[in-house]
Amino acid sequence: MTDASITVTQSVVEQFTERYLRSIGCSIERSDDHWVVSVPDDTDTEITHGRHTLVRGEGTPEDDSTKRLNPESAFFQRLLREAGERSPSGKLSIESESDIEIPGWIQNGAVEVQGAQFTPYYDRTAIVILFRVGIETVSEYQQELLRAVAVDARSEEHLPRLAESFLERTSIEANEVFAGNSQLAKEEARPLLDAARDLLLDGIQHRLDEIHQEASRAADSEVEEYRQMQQQRIQELQEEHSNLSSKIDDLSEKINTGDEDSRVQALRERKELKSEYEELDETLDELWERRDSGFPERQREIRERHSLDVKVTPLTLTEIEYERGEVDFELIDGNINQTVTLGYGSGIGVADTVRCSACEQELSEHNPIQTISNGLECRSCTE
Amino acid sequence: MSGYDLVDIEVTHESADDLLDSLSEDGAEGDHLQSIQAVRLQAGQPDSELRSLKELDENSVKLLEHQVDAAYRALFEMDGKALLADEVGLGKTIEVGMILKEMHFRETDESVLILTPAQLAKQWQAELREKFGLDFICNYDDEFEDFDAHDYIIASIDTAKSERHRQTVLDRDWDVLVLDEAHYVKNEETDRYDLIDRLAYNYAFFLTATPIQNELTDLYNVVSLLRPGLFGTRDVFHQYFVNSNQETLVNRDELQDRLNKVMIRNRREDTDIDFTDRTIDTRTFEPTPKERELYQAVSDYVKGAYSQDQGQKLVLMLLQKEVVSSPVALKRTIEKRLYEQSELTHADELETILDLIDEIDTVTKQERLLDIVEEARDNVEMGRVIVFTQFRATQQQILDRLVSEGYTVHAFHGGHSSSEKEQIVEDFEEEGGILVSTDAMSEGRNLQFCNMLVNLDLPWNPMRVEQRIGRIHRIGQKRDVFIFNMALKDTIEEYVLERLYHKIDLFQQSVGELSSILSRLEESGTSFEDQIFERLMNADSEVELENDFDAMAVNLQEQRELADKLEEFNSGVFEGFDLGESDD
Repeated sequence: MTDASITVTQSVVEQFTERYLRSIGCSIERSDDHWVVSVPDDTDTEITHGRHTLVRGEGTPEDDSTKRLNPESAFFQRLLREAGERSPSGKLSIESESDIEIPGWIQNGAVEVQGAQFTPYYDRTAIVILFRVGIETVSEYQQELLRAVAVDARSEEHLPRLAESFLERTSIEANEVFAGNSQLAKEEARPLLDAARDLLLDGIQHRLDEIHQEASRAADSEVEEYRQMQQQRIQELQEEHSNLSSKIDDLSEKINTGDEDSRVQALRERKELKSEYEELDETLDELWERRDSGFPERQREIRERHSLDVKVTPLTLTEIEYERGEVDFELIDGNINQTVTLGYGSGIGVADTVRCSACEQELSEHNPIQTISNGLECRSCTE
Repeated sequence: MSGYDLVDIEVTHESADDLLDSLSEDGAEGDHLQSIQAVRLQAGQPDSELRSLKELDENSVKLLEHQVDAAYRALFEMDGKALLADEVGLGKTIEVGMILKEMHFRETDESVLILTPAQLAKQWQAELREKFGLDFICNYDDEFEDFDAHDYIIASIDTAKSERHRQTVLDRDWDVLVLDEAHYVKNEETDRYDLIDRLAYNYAFFLTATPIQNELTDLYNVVSLLRPGLFGTRDVFHQYFVNSNQETLVNRDELQDRLNKVMIRNRREDTDIDFTDRTIDTRTFEPTPKERELYQAVSDYVKGAYSQDQGQKLVLMLLQKEVVSSPVALKRTIEKRLYEQSELTHADELETILDLIDEIDTVTKQERLLDIVEEARDNVEMGRVIVFTQFRATQQQILDRLVSEGYTVHAFHGGHSSSEKEQIVEDFEEEGGILVSTDAMSEGRNLQFCNMLVNLDLPWNPMRVEQRIGRIHRIGQKRDVFIFNMALKDTIEEYVLERLYHKIDLFQQSVGELSSILSRLEESGTSFEDQIFERLMNADSEVELENDFDAMAVNLQEQRELADKLEEFNSGVFEGFDLGESDD
């Protein structure tokens, strides 16, 4: 599943900021190292109305009217928050006139494409959702992923290629015209969103597994550390135990041999020591028992602390209208021509799997088409 | 890796109500695209480039590709916790300097603690200041108060772990911890390990050329300090990666994958570092009878005074060094001692020394220096020679002498301002002639345009010697380099040169190689200079002194061989960090 985030460079920051500010009605006077931005009174924005100076890059420190404009600046971060929340749902059309995508098994092959013709048969609707996934555990840094998931609105079919097209068309350079508001009703969108969530979790499973394993290892080593510490404590207590025992023996000896005063004194001391001895005995028994059962409570505590907390948040929902139909690829190989007709969707590309006429193996960019003289034959068959 | 009891995963789905509600809201055309882009930008990493790079002065530091790459990976791909394990001599200090510079630029370095072996602390301080403009206080500076009194500290790890400072070090939350020669904390039963284990920090950079000292467990210990849990428990690590019967590695691929998350190791052969040849010419001269007499008088005085009061060690050591540099250097210290410090017990001896100084009219080293610079005038581009001395008085006398002989001279010492220093170096480049410099030059300045250097006197700290040479023999030097060492026969200098420096091939070592030898030596607790002085003081006869120095040389040689072997061993294990085919 492709990463949907965009790297934040200074030029991207400036491009986005300018476009956004102008779109909400601000005017900008640009000069080399700073911009003067005027925010009219009736503009719907959290940015204070009036005139501001935006210093590009790492310039002078911020004061009330001067703000820094760079990837980490507070001003830019506030702008992103505002823009992100402004219109989280909408609609996008992917028209059929866009260039027809040639599949990898033709592009990498030895056969040329002389012409390609897409005939749309019907309009379809899909949704693309951008999900933020936060993964947190004590032993690893918190990780945040942004992923796009596309599903067909009617069949709930997963459309990964459409999600890719969506990301391409919403890059910073893109200036795609959106077709306005989504026509989907809330009740229609909810089950699609649920389906997209399941697909999302499938898509990031591998990443989750990795982090999960690492967290488990970290927990394991903490458990082991604790076990060793307790083992050490047991040894110390055992020593103390045996010291007490010999002290009690010495006192018993004294009781048997000493005069009355020292006997009374020794008896008193022995009583105290015996009670200490018993307490120690209990503590040791308890420790042994816990050790033999593998310190279950502590283990649970440690594993709970290391557990993975995955938080999935849907951030934007885009309804996409796309077309489905058939594409004719006119292939040419020396003197031979052949037209191949395949299922196709705008923004999706070729939807059918094509197999080698000789070996039945699926054609792919790694095993592309080599010749059309005897049907469609793959590279491995002709080598 | 099986056998773990896995921890739980809890997946929470945040409510989508707000998002679904927005379906019924009207928005302006284009707003949705901007919302998508904003969300995508919020999730994006801020442009991760080393933004401080352009602030560095190219004359002070020449960055190599592998160094920039290592700094980048440590900061941005390893989340600021990395083991920098380049082979010796590839500039790990530079990599850390870049990292610290970048963190400083991004203001994520409110408190930084650099722990090094004691011998290397001052060198770290100088390099960071001169090459990166980063000011650190060192625990050997007079201004150093304690670990809670400064924000940027370079300290010897043994000072930090000492009873006096330990708690203060541990009480603080450090932003950045740098640990040089990290293999010295490999043993989890030592106080050093314990200190690092308990230190609180956000970012950490550990440096070593030899992560493995004896066995793979060393690597486990060092990495576990940096990233606890990365390798799981010690037992599991052993069972999984070490074939106990054959003591070979198993599951190499996985070990490499895991190490890749935390360790960076560049190999010399993968870089474009290439040094020209270095020719060493050590010239030992017969002192005049007067000089010999003076040397003997000073040595006797120093020995006598030291046996009575070891607290005067520093000043006595200074006298012993000055007497082989020049009589004039010695004179100032003696006079000061005699007239300013009311030194009475040995007044007679000091008076005699002063008389002996006055009687000297020919200073052998200075006369012989003329031969060398004369050769240079004929053979070296623009006759450029750098003459190093440790003492300002010697420097002045040489300058006067050279001027009287008609040479173009330049003087460089710590008393100049930075702009003056730059001007001096510039003049030397343009006008040629002889630059007479104290060790203030050793720090940071590059003089690759010159390829001939004279050590008129010799520091007893081998790092200082290498720093002097490093001014001209560094990346960017296109010609072979010539080093002349001058010493008087039967003096301490001859011993240091002949018996120590030549035995360990000091003049052919790189800074990295030296630091690994010296920090090994430091395990024994005393500094190199102290060892030299103690041996000189304690020997009862010439023969004993010779034997003592030989013993020290043997020790050094052993350390060097050990260091070489370890380096070789690690190269074998890591093979360019490609651990090779798995044995299983």
